[in-house]
Amino acid sequence: MKITGADNRVRITERSLFYWILRRHRPMQFFLLLVIVVSLFFKVFPLEMQKRIINEAIYLKDTHLLFLYCGLYIGAVTIAGLLKYAINLCQVYIGQKILVEMRTELYHHVLQLPLQFYRKMQAGTVISAMTAELNAIGFFLGGALAIPITSILTFVVFIGFMFNLNPLLALLSMGVYPLEIIVIPFLQNKYNRLNKKRVKTTRSMANVVNEAISGIHEIHGNASYGLEEKKLSTYIHKLYDLVKRLFIVKYGIKFANNVFQSMGPFILFLVGGYMAINGQFTLGALVAFLSAYEKVYDPWKELIEYYQDYQDAKVRYKQIMKIFDLDPVHALLPFSRDPFTLQGNISMKNITFTVPSGVKLLEDINLEVMANEQIALVGYSGSGKSTLALLIAQLYDASQGTISIDDHQLAELSKLDMSSNVAMIAQQPFIFTGTIRENLLYGVQAVAGDGPLPDRSHILSVLRQVGLQDDIIRFGLQAVLTPEQCKPFRDKFLRMRQIIHTSLRSDFEKVVEFYDAAAYLYYSNIRDNIVFGDSLTGEFIIEGLPDHPRFMELLQKTNLEKPLLTLGYAIATQSVALLANFQDDEFFFRDNPMRADEFTTYSQLVEKLDGPQSKDKEARRLLLILALRFIPQKHSIVSLPSAMEAKILAARRRFQEIVFHIDRDPATLLEVWSPCITGPKTGESVDFIPFCPGEYMYTHTLLDNILFGALKSEQMLDEPLRNLAGQAFQGEHLLDEVMDIGLNFEVGSKGDRLSGGQKQKLAIARAFLKDAPIVIMDEATASLDNTSQARIQGLLETDYRGRKTVIAVIHRLDLTPSYDRIVVMKAGRIVEQGTYDELMERKGAFYDLARAEF
Amino acid sequence: MTLPEQNFNANGLGNITGRQEFLNRLPMFSGAPAGVTKMFAYLAKREEYAQGEIIISEDTRCDRLFLIMSGKVDIFHRHKGRRFHVQLLGPDSINYFGELAMLAEFDWFFSARAWTDVVLMTISREAFTKVMERFPESYPVVVQKIIKLHINRFADQGSYFLSHISPEAWLEDPPQ
Repeated sequence: MKITGADNRVRITERSLFYWILRRHRPMQFFLLLVIVVSLFFKVFPLEMQKRIINEAIYLKDTHLLFLYCGLYIGAVTIAGLLKYAINLCQVYIGQKILVEMRTELYHHVLQLPLQFYRKMQAGTVISAMTAELNAIGFFLGGALAIPITSILTFVVFIGFMFNLNPLLALLSMGVYPLEIIVIPFLQNKYNRLNKKRVKTTRSMANVVNEAISGIHEIHGNASYGLEEKKLSTYIHKLYDLVKRLFIVKYGIKFANNVFQSMGPFILFLVGGYMAINGQFTLGALVAFLSAYEKVYDPWKELIEYYQDYQDAKVRYKQIMKIFDLDPVHALLPFSRDPFTLQGNISMKNITFTVPSGVKLLEDINLEVMANEQIALVGYSGSGKSTLALLIAQLYDASQGTISIDDHQLAELSKLDMSSNVAMIAQQPFIFTGTIRENLLYGVQAVAGDGPLPDRSHILSVLRQVGLQDDIIRFGLQAVLTPEQCKPFRDKFLRMRQIIHTSLRSDFEKVVEFYDAAAYLYYSNIRDNIVFGDSLTGEFIIEGLPDHPRFMELLQKTNLEKPLLTLGYAIATQSVALLANFQDDEFFFRDNPMRADEFTTYSQLVEKLDGPQSKDKEARRLLLILALRFIPQKHSIVSLPSAMEAKILAARRRFQEIVFHIDRDPATLLEVWSPCITGPKTGESVDFIPFCPGEYMYTHTLLDNILFGALKSEQMLDEPLRNLAGQAFQGEHLLDEVMDIGLNFEVGSKGDRLSGGQKQKLAIARAFLKDAPIVIMDEATASLDNTSQARIQGLLETDYRGRKTVIAVIHRLDLTPSYDRIVVMKAGRIVEQGTYDELMERKGAFYDLARAEF
Repeated sequence: MTLPEQNFNANGLGNITGRQEFLNRLPMFSGAPAGVTKMFAYLAKREEYAQGEIIISEDTRCDRLFLIMSGKVDIFHRHKGRRFHVQLLGPDSINYFGELAMLAEFDWFFSARAWTDVVLMTISREAFTKVMERFPESYPVVVQKIIKLHINRFADQGSYFLSHISPEAWLEDPPQ
């Protein structure tokens, strides 16, 4: 990692803003300076040309000279413009490059700050500092050197030019500048003070929003919307007031500038005009002087704006650095050595841990743990057992006393030493946004860097050990695979489908309605019953079908349009009448073709319509959508007239003909109509894939593909059936493949697509995969059901026995007998230790705890 | 609602009106507002079991109430590896089980299997809770009825036990 260069000896939070600017990208900055100097010449040169055009070319009436000077003028102006463009690009490039480095290094620093820092710090403050506030600084950084240098040089060169033309006039027109030097900084100071307050208020506002989003469950639960709005409203109004005052000052500064700017030309016209009339000054020189005066104001204005931006950036920068002004307690990497490989002997001597308020959470703890010993830490809530576990994991640091592992003092071990040797499982582990695989490999990857990662069989065996196998298989079965992902296993999956449909048919047909080209499907919607297939491009999605000319033509030809409109109308009227008071809860729409968010639309539609056969195109579209979504066995809101079934089956056949433009005769000749006869050949690149036993349906899940039918109820794929399917998978050597697909399941933000138990098991698997010699479990199995808890406990007793040092904070005392030693804590002290039998016999604190539990 | 063109087909679940009539005949919903039974009719599910199939097993999480529309259901307990029949339910007598699942979350303390082919209507606890939230005034009455239904079933089981109990168990006091 490049954090250890000589450039970074100053702690990041102690660096000034210019520290970054002056030390980074020097060649680029030098190049920028060069371009600026060159550009100056091309800025002044047109002024000289202006003077010569009037004084020489026009005065002497020499067209040749006029063309020459005009050509040189336009050439110089164009080059000056191009150079300005190059300067701007360089500025942005340098600014953003510095920002990238600043942000990377700051984040590196922030992540390493001790846990105590985060206990006090609101997430909103850190987020706002790392994102929006740093962005604002980035805009300043690019021009931090270029703008003042360009402006000062331009200013000096133009003034020089003006003095050269007429020293008296130059002196007079410069007279207003000293005044500005007094007024502007006064206003600017006022602006800075307000700006500081604005930054602080914005942060507080970010914290309130952040807290509300994190605690949204509680807010919904208590319907405390008003309370939360009130909290934010205070800051919104404060911010409004501050920004209002800020802009009064900001535009005050602009106003002062404008007044001063107008004073110059006034003096120029008055004195310069008088001199020109009296022949003391040529007209050409006066025009050039006026141009120069106008131009000299630009760099001045830029300087003023720069000054404002600098002050603004400085305020923000200082505020940011102030927040993070702490030193990481432990080195990240070991100093000139590889990380230690530890045995797991842990020794604690006179450990005391005091929180900032002065309360002692742990006092005078002395404990020796042998390598490969399994220790249970038990005690009443608040006895300090979790704190002790966190101290051993180096997540907290002892206030007094020493902890050592294999004779290495914990305080001297680097973070990499710890993460290579200790696997920690928290009671409420954190799951990151991403796939199951990424979460599983999180710990290993952090230690291994670019080194080798565990192979698939190892990952899968750990998942089996912790009892996540079934969940991962389920995720795998729910995956929708692209043709490329599916290609290697396609034939095997189709073979599974064949097994389910032949040897396991009698078991599965109770819960699955298999796709049958000749039969009406009561557990599939009407769209599936007609289209009986899927388009990879989404051509036949329900919402698009009412506008699909060929599909609508089919409905008319098969006399289906009217009955479908009638069905849609019945669904709409019934649902609107039944669910008018329930539209705010999606639960009531789970088994309805109408979605909760569509209720208002359909409610307005029903009010407008006086029957199903409306002429209004949008009304017909909406009614058709409801009808096409209708699943007879799932949607009880209306029943399907049996006469429609035959019509739908006829439409199914016609649809295939229309889609493939194939005459039905060949199929009729075979006397068995099947979409597969008219369908594409296997392996052909086609858009439409019919529900055909030999075709993989790429828009459906893997489970749908294997079952090749619709599930009669979500809950009905019960354990015996899953076991049957599992055995068949095993027989086809497909289980690992399905699990591998399941590992790509996206867990959602903070793992919210996983259940509590799944998250916990994933965290346990993540820690076990590290295979570290020391395992610290802080009530790691507390949120698991009894079977899963017993499974993990069994793993510790068999696989981990004699191989790993285990320190487990345990609440349930019935899990403790298998531990080598039980350490009982009370009010921050160790009060008892021994084996389960010894402690029960002693009838001390542990005995009391156990009696209270049972 | 049945569409004007045809009657609903034989495979259908039946419509809301049909289900509502069935629910109205049950003591649990007698006297409940029409809105309540209509919503339950809408949210109820139909489950079918072939003779001998297990419907629920002891120690699995309870989540729904079962109403018997046709067929007979055997309620039994497992004890020390043996199966003990305790009740036979049918559409005409006590035609429900799992009523307490509406009120609390627990593991089933009995098992049920299809004695003949059965058709059941089920109402999930989630559906029950969601509907009752909208009709809070009906909640105490329905809860009282559920408890009465449970007592009925309990009393029926009690009398079955007493008439099938072995003479050795016929003790006036519990063993010391």
